[in-house]
Order: sequence, then structure tokens, then C-alpha cells
Amino acid sequence: MPLAMPAAKVLRVSPKWLLLLGLLASCSSTNSNAPVNLNAGLPVGAVLSLTGNANVYGQDQRLGLELAQAAFKPGSSMPLNLIIEDGGSDEAGAINAFNLLINQGTTALIGPTLSQQAFAASPIAQRRGVPVLAPSNTATGIPEIGSFISRVSAQSSVIAPLSINKVMQLDPAIKRVAVFYANDDAYSTSETTIFQKAIKAKGLNTVTVQRTQLNDQDFLNQITSALRAKPDLVVLSLQAVDGGNLIRQLRELGFKGKIVVGNGMNTPNIYPICQRFCDGILIAQAYSPELKTKENQAFVATHKAQQGGRVPAQLTAQAYTAYQVIAEAAQRLNKREPLKGMPLRQARLLLNKEILSGTYNTPLGKISFSRDGEVKQESFYVAEVQMNPDGQTGRFALLK
Amino acid sequence: MEVWLQLLVNGISIGAVYALFALGYTLVFSVLGVINFAHGAVFTCGAYFTYIFLGGVVGSNGLLAAQKLPVTFPLAIALVLAGLTAAMVGLLVETVAFKPLRRRGAEPLLYLITSLGAGVIIVNLIQLLMGAEAYALPSNILGSMPAVLALGHGLQIRTVQLLLLLVGGVTMLILNIWLNQSLSGKALQAVAEDATTARLLGINSGAMIQLAFAIASFLAGLSGGLVALSVNIGGPYFGISYGLKGLGVLVLGGLGSVPGAMLGGLIIGITEAFVPAKLSAYKDAVAFAFLFLVLIIRPQGLFGKPPIEKV
Amino acid sequence: MFDISLFVLMLLGALLALAVYLPLRAGQLSLATPGFYTIGGTVAALLSTTVPELGGNEQTYPLTSVFLELMLAIPLVALLAFLIGKPVLKLKGIYLAIATIALVEILRVVLLSSPWFGAAVGIFAIPQPFEGPEGYAAAFAVLLGITAWGCQRLETEPLGREMAAIRNDELAARCMGVNSERVKLIAFVLSAIIAAAAGVLAAHFFNSWSARQASFDASITTLAFVVLGGSRTWLGPVIGGLVLTALPELLRPIGDLRLIVFGLVILLGPIFIPQGLIQQKRS
Repeated sequence: MPLAMPAAKVLRVSPKWLLLLGLLASCSSTNSNAPVNLNAGLPVGAVLSLTGNANVYGQDQRLGLELAQAAFKPGSSMPLNLIIEDGGSDEAGAINAFNLLINQGTTALIGPTLSQQAFAASPIAQRRGVPVLAPSNTATGIPEIGSFISRVSAQSSVIAPLSINKVMQLDPAIKRVAVFYANDDAYSTSETTIFQKAIKAKGLNTVTVQRTQLNDQDFLNQITSALRAKPDLVVLSLQAVDGGNLIRQLRELGFKGKIVVGNGMNTPNIYPICQRFCDGILIAQAYSPELKTKENQAFVATHKAQQGGRVPAQLTAQAYTAYQVIAEAAQRLNKREPLKGMPLRQARLLLNKEILSGTYNTPLGKISFSRDGEVKQESFYVAEVQMNPDGQTGRFALLK
Repeated sequence: MEVWLQLLVNGISIGAVYALFALGYTLVFSVLGVINFAHGAVFTCGAYFTYIFLGGVVGSNGLLAAQKLPVTFPLAIALVLAGLTAAMVGLLVETVAFKPLRRRGAEPLLYLITSLGAGVIIVNLIQLLMGAEAYALPSNILGSMPAVLALGHGLQIRTVQLLLLLVGGVTMLILNIWLNQSLSGKALQAVAEDATTARLLGINSGAMIQLAFAIASFLAGLSGGLVALSVNIGGPYFGISYGLKGLGVLVLGGLGSVPGAMLGGLIIGITEAFVPAKLSAYKDAVAFAFLFLVLIIRPQGLFGKPPIEKV
Repeated sequence: MFDISLFVLMLLGALLALAVYLPLRAGQLSLATPGFYTIGGTVAALLSTTVPELGGNEQTYPLTSVFLELMLAIPLVALLAFLIGKPVLKLKGIYLAIATIALVEILRVVLLSSPWFGAAVGIFAIPQPFEGPEGYAAAFAVLLGITAWGCQRLETEPLGREMAAIRNDELAARCMGVNSERVKLIAFVLSAIIAAAAGVLAAHFFNSWSARQASFDASITTLAFVVLGGSRTWLGPVIGGLVLTALPELLRPIGDLRLIVFGLVILLGPIFIPQGLIQQKRS
């Protein structure tokens, strides 16, 4: 409703008003010496990009967390009370969601979706002594943010070179490489550096480096210019949508050689985008649905049952794993030192220690953590996309 | 192969999309003198509608999960239907976000905000209903046509892009003829020229504004569908990346000028194509720097009329 | 529960809204604010991460160094705004708005592509002058207080009256001897300074910084702050910035619907309260 007031009066009112806000602000903050609130289970927060341009990743992750919730809740002596918050796709959104959840008395956080957001939000959790387990941050330097920050997502410098090795194995005649990346995207620029190093280390010749922009959908110019350099391998570090479009256009304009893609396209979401042109692209993965372990087969089965036969994406599996790690760590901790009545601060500290010290049999295989919180994973995979004749569905087929 | 010729072809086919997009902006601007920030969202609607009318199934994450229409339409009809449905969305935007302000003669600043709000609602509604995932029109939709057509001398163009160019060109031609030859087109121009005088001449300016919205949104819906054919629907934010470029095109051509929007689109498309590969990171900056320079040298844009200072 | 970090973001929103408000007070719709904000933040991020001398010996980053960053960022941005403002402010209305959007876009692309400014990954591990958000809240409150005080002064100063005269009718104001070019330029430069100062503080608060902050969305959002709050007195933008920054957070309980409701508020606000939340009494 309109407040009609002359300018002079405005001035007189305003300091009081600011004071009021200041008072409001000062009477907040949970007391971290109070005991953990276990009424609905051990409170654990998750910050996912459910809105903004990374929403498609957040959607995959939410699915993983929900599946994990269903899988680990029944029969647990210390069930988790999972609170999912939208972190948007930018730094401010992640910061807000982190603070909100920390103030709600969560004992651990899963997230945020983007590495970019982690650099802004995770230091807050570090300062307040809340363990953060990142399910999808692959940039260098995430666990180094602090002792409370760890991740289940292997960093790209470990994974990316594997696909280059594989493609050389498949086709030793490859000599000339064209590289594509989005120069305004953090993921893309960091991964392409790793790819380019790996290409050089293999003695290949990078004939052209083409830069695109995250929001580009049309790549005719870059492709025209790249094809003139006559590459026999294209390596691209792009997100699912722009990468899928680029592959389609690249194939349509006549590129016949092999294509290697990075982690951004590590999702079944690319199938509808590049359709039949997805066929044959190579990708190194931290997760393979075809991994034959008890845990993974059970996970794939429930995913298929709920998602109309689709196999899980890496992001879904990693989010599931993050939940599993915290659930199992909480279980062990509770057995040794009952969480009931434990001060929140101490619960967070002990839970962090417990997370980092355990070994877990997850859909990603057997994992554990290094001292600073980097995931130690036994196996990585290189997969080849195989599209079905309908051109809309396909699978990441494991290359042995 | 003549490289520059290929770049020119690329530039024209990208520029045509910009032009189609900016055309919607310019039609609304010409009658109302404001920019409709919901235009990008209507464009996105067009893409999704086309997908649905082609018999596409909604993915698993929205409220409408696994739903589909009982009927499937051929491409041409689906595109027209998508345009018509988008036009209805456009009219709704006009009724909700523009009409109440227009009645009151509110300052142009307010329209920017209400239309922005309408855009935010549409984009998030799409996400709620259809989920955030990417959708693609079936790639065999063009039947037995090859994906790429050779134009001789090594020149090539993607078939969908040629289609886009043709449909876009024909639409613009029809629009031009309609504006200049038909009675309602002339009435629309009269309102654009001077709303008060037009009213005195017995033209219902409210109806003309609605007509402008309907046509602009039809064009947006149609081009949304066409672009989705070429690059797929990346998610609910599909149209937003064109929004900013379209704004640039609009100003470059001159606010409210239909030929200006067309030429502006082509100029920006071609300029981008000729940015050397080494500098391709700066491609967007080049387009906007160009726009900036034009504004400084010729503030009214290429085809705009210089503003008259009323004394 | 009221979160202090959110309060910091609200204060930041209010500051950016004031930066949009100042040129608007002289009738100029400039959307360059996120650009100057980004430059301010980049200066702070670069200095604090690359100049070890600024770090001091304490655990926390010294406040004097933040002050030094401000003292460097402000003249730099003021000079830039002066150089840009000269040609740009000749443009009128929506043309000015779009020219400034173009500038922000050019800046964004250039910064994101240049390794010197952190490129796409941005600059992270920016040192912290405060232990927690309370310190930032105080710093932002001081900055907002100073800015608001300055804006209040404007209401009575000749400069403020000249700005209002230009907003009402530039031609008439010029006839009455107002040097409109000078007044508009001053408003533009002041606006840039506010944005840059906010950027310096924000870079520390966010721990990390990238040119993605300078987006078209940011331009329009800050404009919405001003329009919804009211653009006639300085209190309007302040309220608009505070409320609209808090709103998406307050709407969290409704989950997936929250951005739809947020959109509704932006859509319906100008229709039902066209003058904004804070209005001036008409004489």
C-alpha cells in the first residue's frame, strides 16, 4: 500500500527503520552449543541448482537424493532428515541456501551443484564448522577450501585424459586435433586446459582451438573454421545443451572423425539434443551404470523402475553416493558416540571426521577419501555413446 | 571454396533468426513505444508448443510428466498452430502486463518491469510443467531431405537453416505487404505514427495494439519452432539468449522500424560471422561494440526517425 | 528466522538500487550499474589476492587494505564513468538504456575472456576482513548510510533540484540556465562510484568474483528494485532493494512455485502501485 510522506518526514522515520532491521538481524543464528535436533532424524541439507541455467543438473541430483532417501531410511537406527533447498545457478543463491540450512541446524551439507558456487558458498560452511560433501564439483581446488570440505566427484584432471588415451588406442592414426570450449564458462575453461595438456602429452597436434560462448546455439562459424584445419579428432569441453548442438552441427557439416567430450555432457540429457549424431562419441566417466557390483545393480534397478526404464546419469549416481556416505557415517558415529543430546558443533565436527575416515561401497564402486577430502575412487570408465535406431534414446556403453 | 562466401551464408542464416526475433520487438515498440521483455519467453513457448503439436511426449520431471497430445500434426501445421498458441500467450501478456498501464498512461519504465515479470512467470511455469530437460524435435522431421545442401563451389548450408531462411523471408515479405497495402496494416502504422490523431480518425488504437501483440507473438512462436528445429530446445531459458541480441538488433535497425529490424539482424549476423576465429571469444562483444558505435554516430539507429524535441 | 547473510545481500541490493536511482533522478535510465559494480569487485579481488603486502600479519584481512582498495577503485571508476558518460549521455530514453546494456555486455565478455581478470573461472579465495557476516552487515550498513545521507542532502541542494528539473523537462531546465550535460554527468559518475564501492565490499563477502556478475539480468533486476520501491525519493530504491532481495528467500517455503510468485510480484507491483512503495506527497 502506498506510503504517502513528505521528504522531510522520510528522513526522520528512516533511522528507526534501519534500527528495527538491525535488531531483527541480531536476534537470529542458531546456538551451536544446543543439542542436535533429532526429532525428524539427523538434519542434513542439500543445495542444488533447481532454477537458473544449471537447473537440469539440479534435477538429476534431486532424483539421486530422493532415491537414496528411499533406500537408506527404512531400518536405519539414525535416519537422515534431508532438507533440499534451491541454490539457483549463481553464487548469491548458493550462499543464501547454505546460510539458511546452517542456521536450521543441519549437521552436514550436500552441494552446491556448480564449482563456481562452491568457491563462494563452501568457505561459509568451513568457517562455521559444517561438513560439506560436494556431489558434482569437479574443478581443481575444491577440497582445498578447508578441512570441512570434501567431494565424491573426482576432479576432471584425473578423468579427462583417460578418454584421450582410449581414442588413441582405438585409432592410432589420429594426428590432428581440433579443440572446442566455451570461454565464458568456468567448467569448460578448466577442463579444456587439462584436455589440451593430455593431447600434447600424447604427441598429437592441436590444429585449432575454437572458443564458443555458453549461450551459443549456432556454431556454423566455428565449425567452418575448424573443418578447414582438417582435424581427425575433435575434443570438446561444453555443457550438455551447447555441446549437443555443436556435435549435431559438426556431423551435419560433414565431420567424420572421432569426437571426445568432457564431463559436461556426461548425462543422458544429451540424447535428445544430438540424437543420432551422438552415436560414437567417447567420454570418460566417474560412474558407469554397467558396473557389476551389488550396490550399483540395486541402484540401477530402482532408478529404472521409477524412471520408465532409463539408466541413471552420473550426476544422479554421485548425488546418491553423497547421501549414502553421510548416512553410513552417521550410522557408525551414532553407534560409537550416540548423537542424542550431543551439541551441534561437536556433532558436525565428529560427523566430518567420520565421513573422511570411512570406506563406502557405493554405486560408484568402492570409495574413500584422502586426508584433505578428495575422493579416492577405484575405477574410472571410458564409454561410447550408442544410440538406438529411434534416435532419441541410447546408452553410455562401457569400453573395456 | 571461397571462405568468405561460406561465412556470408552462415552470417545470413544466423542473422535471419535475429531479424525474426527483433521484428516482434519492433512491432510492439512501434505502436506502444515500449520494449516487451516477455518476448523471449513467448519465443520459448513457441518452441515448446511446436514440440507438443508434433506429438512429443513431456519428460519425467514436470507436472505434465509423460503426457502427450492425442493427435500428431505434420510440421507445417504444427508450426502454424504453435504460432497461433504463442499469439494467444502474447495477447494474455498484453492484457495482464500492458493494458492496465496503457489505460492509465503510465511511464514507459513500468512496462519494462511488468513485462519482465510476465517473462519470469512464463519461464518458470514452463519449468514447472515440462521440467528443465532438453527437448528436441525429431531429426527425421524433414523426411528424406539431406541434413546439408551443397550450393556448389564447396558452399554448403544446413537444410533446416535454409528452411528457416525461406519461411522467415516469406513471413517478412507478407508482413511488409500487409503493413503497406492492407487497411488494417495502414491503421496499425497510423497508430504507430501518432496514436491521438489515429484515434481522431476513428481507428481503435487499443485493438491495433492487440493486433501488434498478436502478430509479434505469432512471429515469435513460429520462429521459436523453427529455431528449435535447428538447435533443439535447451530448456526453459531457450529464448533468453536471443532476447539480448534481439534488443541490439532492434536498436541498430532503429526502434519501431520493420525494415530496420530485418537489416539489423542480417548486419549483426554477418558481422559475427566475420569475426576471425582467433577472436571468436569476443564475438558477442564485437556485435555490441558495433551497436554502441552506431548509437554514438547515429542515435536513432539505421532506419529510425530522429527524435523531435518538442518545445 | 532472519539470516544475517541475507541481510547483507539486502543491503547490497539497496546500494545497487541507489546507484540506478541517481541517474534516474535526473531522468536518465542508465543500466550500467552492474558494470561498475563488477569493476569495483574485480579491483578488490585482484588487489587482495595478488598483493601480499595488503594482507598484513593478522588472521583476518586488514580493514585498512579494504579502505585502500576503495580508494583505488573509486577514482578509477569515476574516471571511466566520466569518459563514457560524455558521449553516452547524449542519448535519450531507451537508447541510453540499451547503450549502457551494450557497455555492460562488452565489459562482461572482455573480462570473461581475459586471463588477467580471472577469466571464466574467476578469482577465488579472496581474503576475509571479517570473521562472519555481522562485520559485513556493519560495513554495508555504513556504506548505505553514507550514500543515503548524500542522497538526502541532494533533496535540498541546488544540484538535486537541477536533477529533478531535468527529469521533469530537460528543455525547460536548460532554458532556465541549468547545465544539463554537467548535471547528468555528475549523476552518472556518482552512480558509478556507489556501484564500485558496493562491488569492493561484495567481492570480499562472496569469497570469489567473476565477471558473470555483470549480466543483463542484473541490470534489469536492479531496475526493478527502483521501480517497485519508488523512484521519487531515495528511500524508495532502498526499500525496493531490501524487499525484492529478501522476497525469493522468504518465498522458499512454497518451493517450486517461488519464482512464479516472485514474477507475479514484479508484474503486479507497477500495476497496483505505479508510484512504488514509497511515494512523495504531491504538493
